[in-house]
Amino acid sequence: MGSYLARQLSQLFITLFGIITVTFFMVRMIPGDPAQYMLGDYATDEALATLRAQMGLDKPVVVQYMMYMARAVTGDLGDSVITGRSALSEILQSLPDSTILAFAGLAIAVVIGVPMGIITAMRQGTWADTLIMLVALAGISFPVFWLGLASILLFSQELKWFPALGSSSGQGFWNAVYYLTLPALVLGVSVAAYVTRLTRSAMLEIIGQDYIRVARAMGVPERVIVWRLAFKNALIPILAIVGVTFAYSLGSAILIEVVFSRPGVGSTILKAVSARDYQLVQAGVLILAVGVVVVNTLLDLTYALVDPRMRKR
Amino acid sequence: MANDGFKVRLSRRQFTAAAVTTAATLSMGLSRLVQAQEAKTLRIRISSDIGNLDPAKIFQIENQSVATHIYNGMAKYDEATNKIVPDLANAWEVSDGGKVYTFTLREGVMWHKDYGAFTSDDVKFSFERVLDPKTGSSYAGQLSSIASIETPAPNKVVITLKAANSGFLHKMAAFNQGWIVSRKALADIGEEKYRLNPIGTGPFIFDRWTPGQEVRLVANTAYFGGAPKVQSIVFRLIRDETASAIALENGEVDIFFGLQQPEVIARLKGSANVTVLDRPANHTINLVLNTEVKPLDDVRVRQAIMFAINRDALIKGFFKDTKRAAFNVLTPSFPEYTEDVPHYNYDPEKARALLKQAGHTSFPLDLITPAAAPYDKIIVPIANDLMNVGIQASIKTLERGAFLQARGKGNIPTSITGVVGAPDPDSPILSLYSRSAFPPGLNTAHYAQIEDLIAQASAAPDEAARKVAYAAILKKTMTDVPVIPLYADNLYIAHTKKVQGFVQNSLFTVNGASVSLG
Repeated sequence: MGSYLARQLSQLFITLFGIITVTFFMVRMIPGDPAQYMLGDYATDEALATLRAQMGLDKPVVVQYMMYMARAVTGDLGDSVITGRSALSEILQSLPDSTILAFAGLAIAVVIGVPMGIITAMRQGTWADTLIMLVALAGISFPVFWLGLASILLFSQELKWFPALGSSSGQGFWNAVYYLTLPALVLGVSVAAYVTRLTRSAMLEIIGQDYIRVARAMGVPERVIVWRLAFKNALIPILAIVGVTFAYSLGSAILIEVVFSRPGVGSTILKAVSARDYQLVQAGVLILAVGVVVVNTLLDLTYALVDPRMRKR
Repeated sequence: MANDGFKVRLSRRQFTAAAVTTAATLSMGLSRLVQAQEAKTLRIRISSDIGNLDPAKIFQIENQSVATHIYNGMAKYDEATNKIVPDLANAWEVSDGGKVYTFTLREGVMWHKDYGAFTSDDVKFSFERVLDPKTGSSYAGQLSSIASIETPAPNKVVITLKAANSGFLHKMAAFNQGWIVSRKALADIGEEKYRLNPIGTGPFIFDRWTPGQEVRLVANTAYFGGAPKVQSIVFRLIRDETASAIALENGEVDIFFGLQQPEVIARLKGSANVTVLDRPANHTINLVLNTEVKPLDDVRVRQAIMFAINRDALIKGFFKDTKRAAFNVLTPSFPEYTEDVPHYNYDPEKARALLKQAGHTSFPLDLITPAAAPYDKIIVPIANDLMNVGIQASIKTLERGAFLQARGKGNIPTSITGVVGAPDPDSPILSLYSRSAFPPGLNTAHYAQIEDLIAQASAAPDEAARKVAYAAILKKTMTDVPVIPLYADNLYIAHTKKVQGFVQNSLFTVNGASVSLG
């Protein structure tokens, strides 16, 4: 177990190193000058030069990269050029909003998607299967921002059940629930489509196995076959699915944040990209990547809990 | 299995019904609870997040809208009439042939958050800070006519100018460089942190900023102009206009600032509970032509472009009459406005003839525009009009950061540029036509033919002489057409019927200080 954890951690670091490097060079490839963005149209050449020097933008990109890496290993990801505050704390401040949305969406997706996946797998070829898979196909095909806008039109404008805005500064748990429901539902439904399809194929693979056929031939009740024999074994691929969809739901959460005017890492990164706020973009992408890697590592560890065979590998 | 299925289907239907009812009741209960919390708060929609509230470096309408509530200037524009009226200064005298301005300051004005009393020293500090090259203020040029600032008493400021400047009070008005900051606050908070921890003397005090969500201000009950009628103002960030319209109709926001899309304007005009206001803005949207590149250096080519663009069709077709015709770079909200300039009605025949005369019947032309609505859209019919007369127009859409950089360098053939700001004619005229605004600056036309006229306007002894001088400038610039005014902007703001006493200004900012919630 110890070496397993060590291996996972070393992989985590390699992944992070790659992500930092790629984002570093990628954001610098976008045309546009952060100094000009900050100072606006009336900026003088001297003011621009001073600011560029302050931000270290006058040095060659490779030197900037070395300096950035040297600071990054100490946990210093630089200051945001928009706000002048530490980029890391800026992102961490908006992280809870994104995580809550992503987890709420994921939870809804699992609650909808896993049973649907099982139903369609067990009733393969029936009208229920066809219908659910059509709906799931629609769910995957409709972009999440479209679903968001459509649900605002339906639930906020027509039915007036939920607010058009996905957040407020009001305090209290119920206040948060009231504003979170619609964005979380939209995210959940869109991600559920994925979960359904993936669960269905995982279940289909399992029920095609010989031992299931034997159990059927022996007259084992269908309920036992589904839950005890098939589902339990399908749990590993389903867990893997949840890991993959977590990354997907974080990605969708970014779009949802913009549609529902919610704060979060997504809207922060969006703003940072358009302002050429390099440090903030890097910090944001890094934190999101860490989130995805950490969740997947945790899921890997739970495989070991669910399936004793995984521990030895 | 079949039996099971039937049972499941029945209970599923019941479950759905129960779930829908619960959701509806829950949402109504919750919405009541939530609305109770937000009484006495004025909520204003903004379309873009804030980033800098330091008057020396402030730009963008969202920052300026927030700052309007926090700061005062020596003088201010009356929101309704655009007249310059007293603000922190009670009165002023002009002496020495228009070179010396003596301001008498209002007494007993206190800075927000216990930063003490406002004095003449703060005024001196504010303006000298903007002028100091170390500050890197974009507005140093606005105050460049100042020779010295003296403070003979805590309530007296004497500003001596290098030469008489008939437009000087505009520079002292509460906007950008005109906003007064506290010396003590800047020293305490520090330059870096100050931009999001502003300290002013205005009707509202900066409370907190939640990035990506909102800016919250609380009422300054000790405000010298009287305590505001609402307890707080929240600037709520909502990017999408349709979502903003729904939020307004649902009462989730009270004022919809930055209303632009013709369809959304039409929709809100039909809403029972919403009032839609509009007012001519202080700016036009222009196509700036670089007069140093061939063949745009030929005035006939520039005039041909002017004749070739069907600006009326743009206003009627694209904007559905939500914008107005522009005859020069000023709009009717300026006292110096006149339409007594050369007019260029759509005439492709004339355009072709002029191009033929100039010997440039066909040439490539890049149209540079920011990737922002509506500019990236209106450029398409414009390019089409130009192609119609033989110009091979191609559209180059640049994302904001890249656009600012390209325009800052100034070596672009054309540029879509508007000068948003105060009703100070120097603001568009100097920015677009003066040598002082050569890149860096907005004069990507590289135009320098009216320097003497600008000097004359500045030295004009009275209002009448000023009007004559600016009329000459407008006439000359519309003959040379380095800048093509495409349309005069018209500002739309919508609010719910709950909002009372709101005055829309022409500055492209929103000011909710006078509002009460019924």
